[in-house]
Amino acid sequence: MELPTLQDLNLAVTLPSMGLALWACVVLAVGLFLPERRRHWNLVLSLGGIVALFLYNLTLFDLPADRQSAFLGMYRADNFTAFVNLIALVTAFFGVLMAYEYLKRTHIDRGEYYPLLLISTSGAMLMGASGDLAVLFVALELLSIPLYIMSGLRRPNAASEESALKYFLLGAFSSAFLVYGVALVYGAAGSTDLSEIFHRVNAGLILDQGLLLAGAGLMLVGLGFKVAAVPFHMWTPDVYQGAPTAVTGYMSVGAKLGGFAGLLRVFIVALPAVSGAGDATGWQDTIALIAALTMILGNVVAIAQRDVKRMLGYSSIAHAGYILMGAAAAGSPDVRDFAVSASLFYLLAYAFTNLGAFAVTVAIEKDDATNPQLDDFNGLSKTRPVLALAMALFMLSLTGIPPTAGVVGKFFLFQAAVNAGMVWLALIGVITSVVSAFYYLRIVVNMYLREGPGEAQAQRSFLGVAVGLAAVGTFVLGVAPVLFLDLAQRAVLVALGG
Amino acid sequence: MENTPISLTTIVTFLPIAGLIVVLFINREREDIIRWVTLGTAVITFLASLGMVAAFDASNPGLQLETYYNWIPGFNISYHVAVDGLSMLLVLLTTFIMPLAVLASFDPIKERVKLYYCMLLLIETAMLGVFVTQDLFLFYIFWEFTLVPMYFLIGIWGSENRVYAAIKFFLYTMAGSILMLLAILWLGVNGDTFNLPTLLEKLASGALVFPEGVEVLLFIGFFAAFAVKVPLWPFHSWLPDAHYEAPTAGSVILAGVLLKLGTYGFVRFNLPLFPQASIDLAPVVAALAVIGILYGAWVSYAQKDVKKLVAYSSVSHLGFVMLGIFALNAQGVQGGIMQMVNHGLSTGGLFLLVGMLYERRHTKLMADFGGIWKVMPLFGALSLIIVLSSMGLPGLNGFVGEFTILLGSMGSNFLAVGFTVFAAVGVILAAVYMLYMFGKVYMGPVIHPENERLPGLDWKEVAVLVPLIIMIFWIGLYPTPFFGMMDSSVDALVTPYTAPGGSVTAAPELAPAPVAAGEAASVGLAPGY
Amino acid sequence: MIINGETIAFAVFAIMAIVGGVGVAALRNLFHAALSLLVALFGVAGLFVLLAAPFLAMVQILVYMGAIAILIIFVIMLTQRVAGMREQYNRQWILSGLVALVVFGVLLMVISQLGTPENAMWNPSAVAATLPDDAGVAALGADLVDANRYVLPFEVAGLLMTVALIGAIAVARED
Repeated sequence: MELPTLQDLNLAVTLPSMGLALWACVVLAVGLFLPERRRHWNLVLSLGGIVALFLYNLTLFDLPADRQSAFLGMYRADNFTAFVNLIALVTAFFGVLMAYEYLKRTHIDRGEYYPLLLISTSGAMLMGASGDLAVLFVALELLSIPLYIMSGLRRPNAASEESALKYFLLGAFSSAFLVYGVALVYGAAGSTDLSEIFHRVNAGLILDQGLLLAGAGLMLVGLGFKVAAVPFHMWTPDVYQGAPTAVTGYMSVGAKLGGFAGLLRVFIVALPAVSGAGDATGWQDTIALIAALTMILGNVVAIAQRDVKRMLGYSSIAHAGYILMGAAAAGSPDVRDFAVSASLFYLLAYAFTNLGAFAVTVAIEKDDATNPQLDDFNGLSKTRPVLALAMALFMLSLTGIPPTAGVVGKFFLFQAAVNAGMVWLALIGVITSVVSAFYYLRIVVNMYLREGPGEAQAQRSFLGVAVGLAAVGTFVLGVAPVLFLDLAQRAVLVALGG
Repeated sequence: MENTPISLTTIVTFLPIAGLIVVLFINREREDIIRWVTLGTAVITFLASLGMVAAFDASNPGLQLETYYNWIPGFNISYHVAVDGLSMLLVLLTTFIMPLAVLASFDPIKERVKLYYCMLLLIETAMLGVFVTQDLFLFYIFWEFTLVPMYFLIGIWGSENRVYAAIKFFLYTMAGSILMLLAILWLGVNGDTFNLPTLLEKLASGALVFPEGVEVLLFIGFFAAFAVKVPLWPFHSWLPDAHYEAPTAGSVILAGVLLKLGTYGFVRFNLPLFPQASIDLAPVVAALAVIGILYGAWVSYAQKDVKKLVAYSSVSHLGFVMLGIFALNAQGVQGGIMQMVNHGLSTGGLFLLVGMLYERRHTKLMADFGGIWKVMPLFGALSLIIVLSSMGLPGLNGFVGEFTILLGSMGSNFLAVGFTVFAAVGVILAAVYMLYMFGKVYMGPVIHPENERLPGLDWKEVAVLVPLIIMIFWIGLYPTPFFGMMDSSVDALVTPYTAPGGSVTAAPELAPAPVAAGEAASVGLAPGY
Repeated sequence: MIINGETIAFAVFAIMAIVGGVGVAALRNLFHAALSLLVALFGVAGLFVLLAAPFLAMVQILVYMGAIAILIIFVIMLTQRVAGMREQYNRQWILSGLVALVVFGVLLMVISQLGTPENAMWNPSAVAATLPDDAGVAALGADLVDANRYVLPFEVAGLLMTVALIGAIAVARED
C-alpha cells in the first residue's frame, strides 16, 4: 500500500475545524485545573482560539486547486468551506461571549460549556467542508451531540431537561433519516463521495433512479430537521424555550449553519443532475415548496407568541425558509452561483442579527430561571437606551428594513428566486416579511412606546461587547455589504474532476 | 460607469446625518443645545440646497450634480444620486420644510428630546435620498428607511392612540412597498442593472423588452407602493390615523414631504419605465384620483376635529396631484409637481396652525373654539392666508397648481373631460369645508371663556409661519421661476406620451412615437403669469 | 435442494431468529422477552456469517447483543414498575401491527424479485464468490485508518465518543 505524504493530506487547510476541535480538548483539560476564581481563563482561551482561527481562515480563500481538498477529497477546502468557517467562527465567538456572565448568573457555570460549544462549531464547519457522505454524517453528529448536552445544562430545571431530551430524541431520529438516506444513495450510486455521485448520476450509471430519489428525500428530511424546516420543525419552539438562553442563541445560528452548509453541499455538488422539469434539477420544486411552507408557518405562528425565546424560535424557522428559498433557486443552473452566495451572505447577516437579538434577551433575562416575556422589554429605551437601540436594529434587520444586514440579505435571496423564475416564491417571501413586521415591531413598541420597568439584569461588560459587536456587524453589512459579499461571491459549489 | 467625485447632491443628502452625529455626542440633558444644533443643521442643509439651485442648469433636461459610486460591484448596484427638473423642487421643499418643523417642535416636545431630533434628522436624509437616488436598490433602501423615523415620531410623541397609528402606518406602507420590491427585482434581473438611467436606455434601445402582460404587472408593483404612500383612494385609511396621532412636526413632515414620495415615485418611475401601461391605466388611476378628491372633500366637511379635517383634505389635494400626473402631458405633470410643493406649504401650514391652537387649548375640536380672530388677530390673519391658499384662491400658490392640473387634464389625450369636471367640483368643495372650518374656529363671538385670554404668537411661531406665507405669495404671484426649473425635464418625460405636435385629438391607441424634444417643448408652457 | 452443513446451519439460525422474535412479542414476562431478543439477535448474527459477512456478524454480537440488549435488560431490572408490568397490549397495538405488516410486505416484495431458489442469490457460497478479494474485515480495518479512505470520519467518530463521554459526565454529575 502506498502511503500518502503529509503534503497530499493537506492537513493545514483543515485547521479551522480540526484545530478548533483540538483546541476544545486543550480548553477542557485546562478547565479541569482552574480554581473558581480563575474561571475566566475558559473564556480567554476559547476566544483566543476562535480569533486566531478566524484570522487564519481568512488566508484560506482562493487556495490553489491542488490545496483545495484534504484527506484526498474527503475534506473540501474551497471558498464555500472558508466562508462557512467564517460564519461558524463568528457564531462561536458570540456564543462564548454571551454565555460567560449568563452561566455564572444562573449558576450553571460548568467548564464543559466552552469545549462543547467549540466542538459543536467544528462540526458545523466540517459539514460545510464535507466531500463525502460519511464525513457529512459524522460531522452532523459532532454538531448535534454537544448541543443536546448544552440544552440540558440547566438540570434539574424541568424545562431544560425537557428541552434536552426532546432535542436528543428528535435529533437522533433525524440522524437516522439522514444515514438511511446516505445508505440508499450509496446503494444507488455505488459511492459516498459527493463528486463521484455527481459524475455517476450525470453519466446515468446509477442502479435505480427510485432508490436515488428515496435516498435524496430521506437526506432532505434529516437535514430539514436540523435547519427546522416545516414540516420537520416541531421540536424547535420547545427546545428553544427550554434551553438556557445563551445556548439557544448559539443553537439558533450554529445548528442552522451546519444544516444549510450540508444541505447545499449535498444537493448542489452531488445531486444537481437528478432529473427534473426543464433544466432545473429535480429537487428544486420540493425545496421551494418546503421553503414556502416554512416561511408561512414560522412567521404566522410567531405572531401569537408571548415568550421571547419561543417567538425567536418561530422566527428562526421563518428565516430557515428564506434561506431555503436561496437553496431552491440554486436548483437552476444559471442562478446556482448567485443563489449560493446569496444564501451564504444571508446566513452571515442572520448570524450577526440573531445572535445580537439573543444577547439582548440574555441581558434582560431574570436570574430566577423564568423565561423572558415580551413585556419584559417595556420601557427599556429609557432605562438602557443603547441596549434598546441595538435591539431595535436587530428587529429591523430581521424584518428586512434598512439600513441593516437583513434587508440586503433578503434582497439578494429574493433576487435569486426571481432570477430562477420563481416569482411566486419571492412573492410569498415578501408577503411573509410584512407579516413578520407584526411580531418584530412588538418588541420595538414595548421598548420605545410603552412604559415599564424594563430593567436589564446584566451590566455593561462582556455581554455589552457582544451586543455592540453584533450591532456593528448588522449595520456594516447593511451599509457596506461588499466587504463580505465579495467573499461570498467567490464561493462556488461544484463537483471535483470530470 | 466610472465613479465620480462627491457632488453637492450627496452632501446635501447626508448633511443631516452629519448633524445627527454631532447631536449624538451631546449629553441628553442639554436639550437646548440639541435643539439649536438640529435647527442649525436643517438651516445649513437648506442653504446648501440653495447652492444646488445655483449650480442647477434648468435648460438641461438630464441628470445633474451626479455622484456615482460602484457600491456593490458584481451585483449591478450603485450609489447613484442626481437631481433633475423633476426632483429639484422637491429637494428644495424638503430642506425648506425641515427647519420649520424643527422650530415648531421647540416648545411642544419636552420628552426624550435627543431621540426626537435624531429622528427628525434621520427622516430628512431618508426623504432627500428618495428624491435624488437614481438606483432602484438604493431607492428601495431610502424608501423603506423613511418608515423607521416616522414610525417612532408617531409612536413616541403622538397623542392617545399613537401606538395603533404608528403600527398601522408602518404595516400599510411596508405592505405596499414590498410589491414594489418584486417589481424592482424583476427589472434588475432582466435588465441586468438596478441603475435607472441605464434601464431607461435599455428600454429605449430595445435591449430590454417586457413580455406580454408583464409591463402592467410591474406598473402595479410600483403602483402599490406609491398609491399607499400618496395615499390614493381607497388606500388612504392609514393616513387620517397617522396624521391625527402624530405630533405637529410629524404631521407637517408627513403632509409636507412624505406623501410626495408617492406622487414623485409615479413621476420618476411609473411614467418613464412603463409608458404603455401608464397609458392603459391612466383612466383607472385618474378615476381613483377624482374619487379621492371628492371623497376627501366630503369626509373633511363631516369632521368635528380640526386636525382630522386637515388630514382628510390631504386625500383630496393629492387626488389633484395624481390627476395631473396621469393627464400624461406637460401641463398636467408640471401642475402635479407644482401642487406637490403647494400642498406641502399650505397643508404643512395648516398642521402648524392646528398645533399652535392645541398648544394653547389642548383640544382640537372645532366646537371648543370660535372667535379666535378677536383674541389673536395676527394669528387669525396668517391663518386666513394659509386657509385661502389651501382652497386655491387665485393669487395664492394653491390656485397655480390646481389650475395647471385642470388645464392639463382637460387637454389630456388619455382622459375624458368628465374627470376635469368632477375635479373642478372638488375645488368648490374645498372652499366649502375650509371656509366652514375657518368660520367655526376663527369667526363669530368668543363662546368659551377659556378662549378669552389666549397668549398671542411668540417669535418662534411667527418665524415658522412667515416663511410659509412668503412662499405662498411668491408662488401665487410669480410662479415662472418654479415652472422654469422643471420645464425641460418634464418635456423630456412626457415626450413618449405626446403624439407629434402634441395634438389633443391624437387617439390613445396610437403607439406613442418619440418626437424631437423641441417640438414637444412647445406643448407645455406654464400658464402665463 | 441439497442438504449439507450450510443448509442445516441456515435452518438452525433461521429458527432461532424467528422463534426469538415471536418470543419477544409473545412472552408475558418482560425479562423473558428480553432474553428472547438475545436469541433472535444471535440467530441474525449467524445468518450474517452464512452470508460471508463476518464483520457484520461480529458487530451484531458486540453491539446489538453485547450493548443494546444488555442495556435493555439493565433498564428492565432497574425499573421495578416495568418489570412487574403485566399489560401486554397498549392502545397503539393496531398501529404497530399495521406498520409490521407493511414492512413485511416490502421485504416480501424485495425477496420475490430475487427469483427462484435456484438463483445464485440464494446460495451463500455463490454470493461470497462474487465479492472482491479485499472485502474482508482486514480490508475494512485498513480502510478506516487509511489516509486515502476513511480516516477523517474515523477520527471524527473518535471525537464524537469524547463528546459523548463529556456529556455523560456533565449530565450525570451531582454538584
